[in-house]
Amino acid sequence: MILLDTREFDHPLPLEMAVEAFKKLSGDEVIHMIHRREPIPLFEIIAKNGGRYLSVMETEGLWHIYITRSRTVELRHPHV
Amino acid sequence: MYNGLSLDQAPPISVVMRFFLTVPVFGILLCCVLLVDPYAVVTPAHPLSLTAIHLMFLGVITMAMIGALFQMQSVLGGRPIPSAAGNALLIHLFLTIGILSLAGAFAFNAAVLFIMASVFLGASILYSANLILPLLFGGVTHETLRGMRLALIALSFTAVLGVVMATSYANGVFSSMHEALRFSHYSLGLIGWIAALIIAVAFQVIEMFYVTPPYSIWCKRNVFRIIALSLVLKMIWLFSSLPFVWVFDLVMGALLLGFIVTTLKRLKIRKRRVSDVSIWFWIAGMVLLFVSINLYAAFIWNGAVELQRASLIAFALFSLSIILGMMGKIVPFLVWFHLNSAGYMDTPIMSNIIPSQRAKALFCLFVLTAIAALSGGFFPDLLILSALAGGAMFTLLLLSHVKALTLYRHTLRHGTRFEQV
Repeated sequence: MILLDTREFDHPLPLEMAVEAFKKLSGDEVIHMIHRREPIPLFEIIAKNGGRYLSVMETEGLWHIYITRSRTVELRHPHV
Repeated sequence: MYNGLSLDQAPPISVVMRFFLTVPVFGILLCCVLLVDPYAVVTPAHPLSLTAIHLMFLGVITMAMIGALFQMQSVLGGRPIPSAAGNALLIHLFLTIGILSLAGAFAFNAAVLFIMASVFLGASILYSANLILPLLFGGVTHETLRGMRLALIALSFTAVLGVVMATSYANGVFSSMHEALRFSHYSLGLIGWIAALIIAVAFQVIEMFYVTPPYSIWCKRNVFRIIALSLVLKMIWLFSSLPFVWVFDLVMGALLLGFIVTTLKRLKIRKRRVSDVSIWFWIAGMVLLFVSINLYAAFIWNGAVELQRASLIAFALFSLSIILGMMGKIVPFLVWFHLNSAGYMDTPIMSNIIPSQRAKALFCLFVLTAIAALSGGFFPDLLILSALAGGAMFTLLLLSHVKALTLYRHTLRHGTRFEQV
């Protein structure tokens, strides 16, 4: 699991960081992004480039986003 | 928890960029009008004054804001605008022809151009509203979308009143309601359309872009209700010739002052102190709005026409400041987003699409333009300086947009895609 905590970064750095990490993903690797809002544009980039994601709002202002390229890895959020 | 947000919502890059590319062209045209006869431009109700006002508020501000609406509705609304590319082409074409017709109609007092302007502007604005408004009703909970809803309704009524007035200009016959129509037209346009949309955008981007605390729930929930109610009551008062119309201006002015204070406070206490030119544009915008409100209050107090003129100039500059700041964010994002969506590995980072030196140069030219234009409200000769600085600013903006698109096309042709790696 690659942890990517972008909560304290100004736009557009969280998006750029997530996409750069996604480009380097291989095999069954999963990115766990923690962000203060749901990064909707990121999902389109992931889905159009063969990736999958799971987006979970834990509380207001706290989102967990799981990203992978794997077809088989199950994406799930353990705390909900 | 879910994993099914509907994708493929972002409109093609051409949808937004065709509006944004036209903005500096109208800006340059406006500067040419200022250069031709600055004294005429500052004379109330002079044809060239009305030409300049409509080039600014329609050609620059509305053109940019409708372009941005196409992007915002798709990203925030979750319900994309149907056939965005074709609709944007049509709306942009009609809007452009309409603005040129209206500017020409005032400048040359040509009845046929007033009719053309009514048809094309009325069609483009009402068509835009009819296209986007249904997506903003039913289940909308986001305050920004509520603000967009009010802004579009206000824009529609502004256009309808504009068509009625254009008919009067075309026929040379003005009804006894003309003054009430005129005041309602600009109140709806300036506050209902422009200010409401900027407030709606601020609710979304100030917090998101600059990592600030959110605006208060009360503020988000009630600001658009208060604006809508004040505008409706002001129009009733105007058309009924009732006294104390200024009370509604006072309410809206107080509301805007509250917006300025809360926005500046949020920018001051933002968590990360990264220097970003778009923040400078927001701060400049808030200062200009503050100046505009105070000049208007002074005008209501003593009736000096110079104060009203300077207030309008300050309001236009406030809107332009926010638009320039937002374009500096949206254009790099669009280029970056569409290249990454298409799977290009070597997509440039956003800060390289519009380099910070260019963004800073644009801001410096804006400040020069703003100071000269505001001073020009009192000393019209200075409008020549503002036209020169503004011309340079809009040329740089155009160049910046063209360079961003060139980079986009270059990467599309020569870039490496995921599957090629």
